[in-house]
Amino acid sequence: MPEIPDAIVLKRDRDLEGRQYDVWIRRGLMSLVAAVPVIALFNVFGQRPETHMLVGPAASLNIYAPDRLRGGLLFEGRFHITARQDIKDAYLVLGPGWAEGMSINTIEPSPVSEASNSGRLSLELGHIGAGKSFILFMQFQVNPTNIALGRKQTVWLNDGTDRLLTFSRDVTIFP
Amino acid sequence: MDIALRGIALFGFIYLLTRVIGRRELSSLQPFDLILLIVLGDTIQQGLTQDDYSITGALIAVGTIASLQVLTSWGAFRFPRMRRVLEGHPIVLVEDGKVIEKNLRRERLTIDDLAEQARTNELASIADVQWAIFEPSGTISFIPKQ
Repeated sequence: MPEIPDAIVLKRDRDLEGRQYDVWIRRGLMSLVAAVPVIALFNVFGQRPETHMLVGPAASLNIYAPDRLRGGLLFEGRFHITARQDIKDAYLVLGPGWAEGMSINTIEPSPVSEASNSGRLSLELGHIGAGKSFILFMQFQVNPTNIALGRKQTVWLNDGTDRLLTFSRDVTIFP
Repeated sequence: MDIALRGIALFGFIYLLTRVIGRRELSSLQPFDLILLIVLGDTIQQGLTQDDYSITGALIAVGTIASLQVLTSWGAFRFPRMRRVLEGHPIVLVEDGKVIEKNLRRERLTIDDLAEQARTNELASIADVQWAIFEPSGTISFIPKQ
């Protein structure tokens, strides 16, 4: 029998006694690692935009924005308002969840005015005639330290002080 | 605090990755592997510090990773059971010139891989090898026959 190298235990290192399952643990963990990008393909971690359509008697509102995001991502929120009746002074009011931990890079076209409505972002869009459309593009960036699980992002469409539509959705932001 | 937490998460993930991808991948550094390493480092960096360009941020990130590295190596040194998990044990691939195929298969190594490594160690034939041991670092140690 040739001399066995120091620190080598033949039962353990050659016959792999007690190590039979190690390879399966390794394969299991590797499968978990590989599962992450597979899950990501199904938009679990964002950032594919979702479309939400609301229709009311006075107007319809189409919101196009991702509801799953990650720190640092740039994304667009698109608000497409179609007036079914004349809207004298349209206001798009966004709940604080839209701005919390976000950089708002641009709003196009610029609203007539911006104000705070009980802590909400109130964007005055002006007159939208019956049958006309107004598309508001907002470009955001998620601040890298922003983490959220089911944060409310509510949107209100008002005509002056009259509420036309309300929509609430949740956003999840992964670290 | 955020960078330290990111550092801990990414250190854990990279450690797990190096343990589960297998030693074969660790031992071979082909041109593609080298590029992959650079890409991996760059990707990790963005997740770690993101838009923080400060020296403080860099100190936190490097300090976290260095501390965890020392902690894991101390753990492996102090606790033999932890060593098994963190570093693994060697695997005998050749004994007295005979290849242990079961162990080769387990590490996704072929006879050709083994022969190539033997040649780089100035051993013309596996039959000349007394012991070939796949070390936890991913290198293969050869002890020639006397």
